[in-house]
Amino acid sequence: MKSKQILKIENLRTYFDTWAGKVKAVDGVSLEVREGETLGLVGESGSGKSVTALSILGIVPRPGKIIDGKIEYKEENLLEKTESDMQKVRGKEISYIFQDPATSLNPVFSIAEQLTEVIRCHQNVTKKEALEKAIELLRLVEIPDPEIKIWNFPHQLSGGMKQRIAVARALSCQPSLLLADEPTTNLDVTIQAQILQLMKSLKRKLRMSMILITHDMGVVAGVADRITVLYAGAVCETANTKTVFYKPKHPYTKALLTAVPSLALRREKLAVIPGTIPNLIEPPTGCKFHPRCEYAKAICAKKTPRLEEIEPGHYVACIRASEIKIESPLGAKTDE
Amino acid sequence: MRLRRSIKAKLQPKKQKARSKGVSQWNIAWRRFKKNKAALAGALIIGFVMFLAAFDALIAPYPPNSLPGFLTGEARVPPSMKYLFGTDFVGHDVFSQVVYGARSALYVGFGAAGIAMSLAILVGLVSGYYGGLVDNILMRITEIFLVFPFLLILLVFLKVITAVAPSGVGGLSMVTIMIGLFSWAPNARIIRGEVLRVKESEFIDASKALGASKRRIIFRHIFPNVLHIVIVLTTLMIATAILVEAAVSFLGFGDPAAITWGQQLQKANEAVKEAWWEGVFPGLFITLLVLGFNLLGNGLRDALDPRLRE
Repeated sequence: MKSKQILKIENLRTYFDTWAGKVKAVDGVSLEVREGETLGLVGESGSGKSVTALSILGIVPRPGKIIDGKIEYKEENLLEKTESDMQKVRGKEISYIFQDPATSLNPVFSIAEQLTEVIRCHQNVTKKEALEKAIELLRLVEIPDPEIKIWNFPHQLSGGMKQRIAVARALSCQPSLLLADEPTTNLDVTIQAQILQLMKSLKRKLRMSMILITHDMGVVAGVADRITVLYAGAVCETANTKTVFYKPKHPYTKALLTAVPSLALRREKLAVIPGTIPNLIEPPTGCKFHPRCEYAKAICAKKTPRLEEIEPGHYVACIRASEIKIESPLGAKTDE
Repeated sequence: MRLRRSIKAKLQPKKQKARSKGVSQWNIAWRRFKKNKAALAGALIIGFVMFLAAFDALIAPYPPNSLPGFLTGEARVPPSMKYLFGTDFVGHDVFSQVVYGARSALYVGFGAAGIAMSLAILVGLVSGYYGGLVDNILMRITEIFLVFPFLLILLVFLKVITAVAPSGVGGLSMVTIMIGLFSWAPNARIIRGEVLRVKESEFIDASKALGASKRRIIFRHIFPNVLHIVIVLTTLMIATAILVEAAVSFLGFGDPAAITWGQQLQKANEAVKEAWWEGVFPGLFITLLVLGFNLLGNGLRDALDPRLRE
């Protein structure tokens, strides 16, 4: 499992300068993606998942700005690249799939135009070759009758179909890294399963790495190799999927798992995490999770925890990680 | 759209004729437009005036600015078979002059609308997309143009230009350019608003994330999505420009050498009681053409509105 890392983010800070103050959407995120793996990026709404992904591509919307940090992709710091160099990275090296397929396709262009545009933007091919490539892509994402469907317009396709097109468009130049920002949130459950299955098999086929952003623990469980849990713009815990689910060390991870509706743990009422995500303009001192944490002590409000490797490959940002004993709500499953 | 057609032409094997065709929003709009009787009537009127303008020398019984009634003493005679719309005080055949006026009306309409809309599109797109300081500066300039008393400033400019410039510089083209330069502001504001809406769509972020340059985003992704507004505004702008030219001419600030309906109205205004035909016919044509463009514009707006999908 020691493959090369393709992406390494160190201490990324992306702030939004609003009239109310600086919103610290991403405040010191560090993570890494290895070649060929899927990293699940998990957290509540507003925990900085999407902003992290947008920061990687350098397309944080105004007034957002990357203040500090390092984003190393294939040993190059993306933050030092010029805008025109970044345009070559976007879509070609790193691709992005958006949440809502209904709005992420341009309504006035046919599928053929949308796909060939990206292909011809990054590759030196003729229109005809680009179109053949596009049809090939539609076949890859398992769209029936690609030669006919390619002349359709987005409004003629169903949601699942549109997301397949969006996946095809993102893959059109064989990127090495795919950022999928809640790609299945707006789809119904059966389509969701199909798309996830598709992305999983495509990832293997094209030897890509992937960052899967989601708030759905069920989705990451099935797809991700490793998971990074974000809370209020900072990393709480990073470990492989099994460890996160069965041996979490951070109280927030545990709270997240408790809140997952599960048939195996049928309870009267769905557990929720008390409180809401803190104000990101003036986050709580010390550990940002302490006001909601059931294990919090006085020290948690004073000392900011650092991300530490407590076991090989298992990073936790909690001062009391070694003192407290957390039992996974899913039961402690040892290695099979 | 062009790309699709050319690729299709090259790549589609003939046997695939029966395939289900992609229905673009333009196809849908055209289908909806066809059902709109008023809009079709508008198009018909415009077509009729265009026909007059194209074949004016063939349709008009007398050459332009000729005075068939002057020598025969038939000045200000009422409509008859010889003079379909009668003659005016010096003996022009009103019908011929109305026919020749069609070309001027269309020239002013399309010319001024072309200038005004080009400016409006440019300002609207740049201002809406870039936002911030650029937007601020462009919008303040737009507001300066908006608060001008439009007609008054137009008349002043025309007067000054004809007085200052050497002879031959004025004329219908100058009137057209002036109307164009002074009427882009409200359209720029509308287009900017639409750009602001489209800019926030996810597909713009998506094309950004796929490596599109700013120019590409503005012209290839945003512009086609505001094109429906631009088309509607253009038709209405043409109508306005024709009206403004008529007003300018009527007030005596137009080009006296050009044959326009406004000029004819001006000459007729002294004889409204005795010779109604001198003013009624040019006026009727102005009304008709402006109505035609308005009907067309309204029809296009209904047809192109993405919210009204069948």
